[in-house]
Amino acid sequence: MSLPKGVIGPEPKNPDEMFVGWAEAPTVDRRFLLGALPLGLAGAGGAAWLIASELDDPGAGAWLTGASHEISGTLITDPYPMIRIIDQTAPGGVRTVLVVAQGKCTSALQLNDQRGSPVTARGVLIQRKQRQMLEVPPFLDDWLTPAKMELAAAVVSPPVKSLGAARLTGAIMDSKCFFGVMRPGRGKTHKACASLCIRGGIPPSLWVRTRDGAESVLLMTTADGGPMPMGILPLVADPVEAEGEIVQVGDMLQFRANANAYTRI
Amino acid sequence: MGHQYKAIQWNKNKIVYDLYTVIVVVVFIGVFMVVGLQIQPTGHTADPVVLMIRALGVATFTLLTVILAVGPLARISPRFSPMLYNRRHLGVMTFIVASAHFGLALLWYHSSGPLNPLVSLFVSNPLYDSIPGFPFEVLGFAAFLILFVMAATSHDFWLNNLSAPAWKALHMLVYPAYVLLVFHIVLGALMTEKSVIYPIMTAVTFISISALHLYTGYREWRADNGMKSLKAKGWIEIGAPDDIPNMRAVIAPLPKGDRVAVFRYDNKISAVTNACRHQNGPLGEGRVIDGCITCPWHGWQYRPDDGVSPPPFTEKIATYNVKIEAGRVLVDPKPNPPGTRTEPAIIPEQESVAT
Repeated sequence: MSLPKGVIGPEPKNPDEMFVGWAEAPTVDRRFLLGALPLGLAGAGGAAWLIASELDDPGAGAWLTGASHEISGTLITDPYPMIRIIDQTAPGGVRTVLVVAQGKCTSALQLNDQRGSPVTARGVLIQRKQRQMLEVPPFLDDWLTPAKMELAAAVVSPPVKSLGAARLTGAIMDSKCFFGVMRPGRGKTHKACASLCIRGGIPPSLWVRTRDGAESVLLMTTADGGPMPMGILPLVADPVEAEGEIVQVGDMLQFRANANAYTRI
Repeated sequence: MGHQYKAIQWNKNKIVYDLYTVIVVVVFIGVFMVVGLQIQPTGHTADPVVLMIRALGVATFTLLTVILAVGPLARISPRFSPMLYNRRHLGVMTFIVASAHFGLALLWYHSSGPLNPLVSLFVSNPLYDSIPGFPFEVLGFAAFLILFVMAATSHDFWLNNLSAPAWKALHMLVYPAYVLLVFHIVLGALMTEKSVIYPIMTAVTFISISALHLYTGYREWRADNGMKSLKAKGWIEIGAPDDIPNMRAVIAPLPKGDRVAVFRYDNKISAVTNACRHQNGPLGEGRVIDGCITCPWHGWQYRPDDGVSPPPFTEKIATYNVKIEAGRVLVDPKPNPPGTRTEPAIIPEQESVAT
């Protein structure tokens, strides 16, 4: 072959048969595909195994759907909806169960009429180790009913104990997802969801690691113990640092610091 | 190539291909889900919805990577032609998987809240002024819109009505979509997960795709450079008739930058444009099958002497006048209007050696 410079001839390696989509595939293509297709299938399975097995630990949270959970105790609305119950397995014999609505709009709950009263609430339990939350269906009338019970002082007005000032480093979580609705419910891929949840009234928590590496979760309030304002939203899920006061109310740890005390690190 | 439109153009090859692709996607997602649910520490359970969102996202990126690899691979070896032939079906499949990823993520992370889910997508993470904090969801959404436009215009109806060059230009948006997806992953999953496997896999994938395109681009550039010497005035010399294998073609450049495919068949020589009417496929790399020039990409056919598709099809391509003088094949660089019949050059007997 003596083609002038610049003229391109057929690839010498190109066999005489050519694959045409609407015709029978040539033998050479059939052989190639018979080898390649199982490899593709094995590659897909292998890649899926490798990628899924390297995912971060989703944490110890659980969302116990499929079973109704009932608790009775004192209804608290400040700084966030919660019911304080007698529970001998909890530290001090009192457990605080946060109350949230289904979805991401807890602010829809109408609780003021029964604030401070003994109540029975039914819903789905969300639990991460010792921390509990009850997810309730606000569109049903009977999820919250008055309870006829004598309430101990420990659940009506537990002592508020200051554990002192502290500078904490951690991440702001929406308690509902972090306690177990989404697993994992943290990190940047969850930032928008966490921000939306907190905007909807889900209590924010500060997730920190203690010096020995243990996980600790503190309910976030303002410096005077009120609900956190929306100014905290841009910092949700990011590594943050803040100086505030750690307060123990019953079995629950609170971190009291205003929104402007938090800085991204 | 068609004289009437069908919703989905299936034939035996495409059915086998689509079935295989569905099986691969199902196996990928199935293995991902089973391993993701089973491999956790005792007492820890991953959220099946979050796992599914991730499986669908990884599947989308992998499918798009394969789609981008098919073009260069088919330039390197004809063994990848079957994948090229079925690439549009793979594209639509990718859009379906991407839709599931997008829909599930929107439902799980952005619905049931105080904001409209589509509003939440844009405002729940407001860190637009930060690179590491940038809302990666917006990048994924932009890529999804591109995939939607590509899937919606994937049918031959749009190819014919938009014209091949406009359609091709529109579908080149797959490259911006791929870059958007890479950043969607880098600024999202890679900033959340701790394993080093993920950045390594993402980098290797991106570099491999880039290298494949650079390599095939270099080959084209080298070929174009070699062709510059032919850009002379008057008829262009192609070589001897025997330099062209029977039922095949050589490709030569033309002064205005086009390429001509010069075919030898039945002791005759004919020349047509190298660009297929369908998707600009390289006709000169095809063959004469059943008396028609057949494009190696999607099998569109044209008669060598007039560039018209055989009935009932009506597509037309430009033809070129051709002659043989002093044992050399010469082509007039001025194209004839598409569908113009030209007289094939007859190869004299002494110059026709069976190949």
